[in-house]
Amino acid sequence: MPHKAFKIYYLSETAVTVEFGQQIAEDLLSEVNHLNQLLHEQPFTGFETTVPAYSTLTVFYDPVAVIKSDLPGVGCFAKVSGYLNALKQQVKTAAPVAGDRVVIPVCYDAAFAPDLAEVADLHQVSIAEVIRLHSEAVYKVYMIGFIPGFAYLGGMDSRLATPRKATPRKRVPAGAVGIAGQQTGVYPIDTPGGWQIIGQTPLKMFDRDRGQPSLLKAGDIVVFKAIDIQEFNELSAG
Amino acid sequence: MSTIQDLGRHRYLSQGVPVSGAMDALSAQIANIAVGNPDNAAVIEFTYADAEFIAETDLLIAYVGGGAIFQSGGQILPPERPLFVPSGAIIKLINNPSGSRTYLAVAGGWDVPEILGSKSTCLVAGFGGLEGRALKSGDMLINMQETTSNTQKILHYFEEKLQKISKKYKVDYPGWSLPRQVHLPADGKIIRVVPGNELGWFNGRSIAGFLSAPYIIGRQSNRMGYHLEGAAMERLKNDELLSTAVTPGTIQVTGSGSMVLLMADCQTTGGYPRIAQVAAVDMPLCAQLKPGDAIYFKDITRREAEMLYIEREQQLHKLTIAVQSKFS
Repeated sequence: MPHKAFKIYYLSETAVTVEFGQQIAEDLLSEVNHLNQLLHEQPFTGFETTVPAYSTLTVFYDPVAVIKSDLPGVGCFAKVSGYLNALKQQVKTAAPVAGDRVVIPVCYDAAFAPDLAEVADLHQVSIAEVIRLHSEAVYKVYMIGFIPGFAYLGGMDSRLATPRKATPRKRVPAGAVGIAGQQTGVYPIDTPGGWQIIGQTPLKMFDRDRGQPSLLKAGDIVVFKAIDIQEFNELSAG
Repeated sequence: MSTIQDLGRHRYLSQGVPVSGAMDALSAQIANIAVGNPDNAAVIEFTYADAEFIAETDLLIAYVGGGAIFQSGGQILPPERPLFVPSGAIIKLINNPSGSRTYLAVAGGWDVPEILGSKSTCLVAGFGGLEGRALKSGDMLINMQETTSNTQKILHYFEEKLQKISKKYKVDYPGWSLPRQVHLPADGKIIRVVPGNELGWFNGRSIAGFLSAPYIIGRQSNRMGYHLEGAAMERLKNDELLSTAVTPGTIQVTGSGSMVLLMADCQTTGGYPRIAQVAAVDMPLCAQLKPGDAIYFKDITRREAEMLYIEREQQLHKLTIAVQSKFS
């Protein structure tokens, strides 16, 4: 099966990055997630955490623990990259990791969708068509980044691709669903932002009191389910 | 701006949660060591000298860093050592142009809730520290009641000493100190860097300039990052970098060729090419820079950076032992 290019490079004294390729592709995402899972199952001495991204897995560690460990190699970079290289050999044999399927209810009512009409106008389709295209697609979480709990989703219908707003808003509320270029996403916290806002979810995308604060993680499958204002209010209250 | 920080929140990077933590971790650690705390105890990070506070009880504190000198009742309080402050003392921060950030440790550490494994303030998402925000006038902070045996020994030393002289209206402190400067290079304007993964995306002239010309800290600089003003970097390759992990100390080159040095509150991922990574041991120097300051970059190997990192950790460990021996 896989593996053509595979490179490990230095990020800092406490991190190395494993690079599987340089494009957005499902097979790369699956390799990233697979190595991530293997590493959590078989951590090395001093391992701390990882950051999965589109085509890279960055591995953070405590250099003081790594240097004292009996991993072969001179210096932390050599020790950790040697370990990751060996672990990578297992990626060939094991089954790929399946992410969770997460349904995100979204209210596309005008009250929550200040830019929905503009998006529909730009593409010369009805508002209902924008909602249909957005809520019928199946999305994949490529990575979490930018701000706490923000998921980079792949899979938006290219007919919805819309440039960012010329002037960003000073405040976009947590839960706002937006489009920017080829991407769609949900704002997890109140923040300034330039995405075209087409709806709102009552779910908390980021909740520091949850065991996993970010609702989504890399590899998850996401679908948006259209709900009306009444359902929105019920879900918000509950 | 003043916030509560410890050594950062490292376990939730994959969920987009920034590291946060003390910008100058060296100063924060020395302040903690001086009062017998674990080096990760929560401290206050003051930026410049915009604060004044009252001790409502007797306090064992220490402060380390640039930006401010502590003063009480006209008495200058020396940095980098334990200070026994009597109840009722008013402490005022006065400007110290040598830097910008000062760290205040208290016996036991400041008592704020631990959120996602850290007491650091996460300003972008509004949690951690004191109610997820910067400190403001009128706030009351208390110290953790639980202290190390080392802290108890330091407290005992001061209490015994004060009983003998039976006067307790002045701040007391020992004659020795734990100087921060001995851990740092003499020239605080030369910042050591390891070449970044996308260094080769820039032309030779730009790289030579990066490693020889001065860069000025821009006005729009904060805990998330510093804008570096200087010659624009010229690209050889016009590739787009797919977003990937970045970390405090990463120097990114934006679309216009200008550079941003990422600091403690930076995002967990970024999509700009990375020309270099500042050596972790020099991040405390960066933390003390002010807009308008000029710095130079000097390249070292990743192996050198690693060894410097481990050496710094060993120095701090020795410092903890040295303080223990002074009071036993």
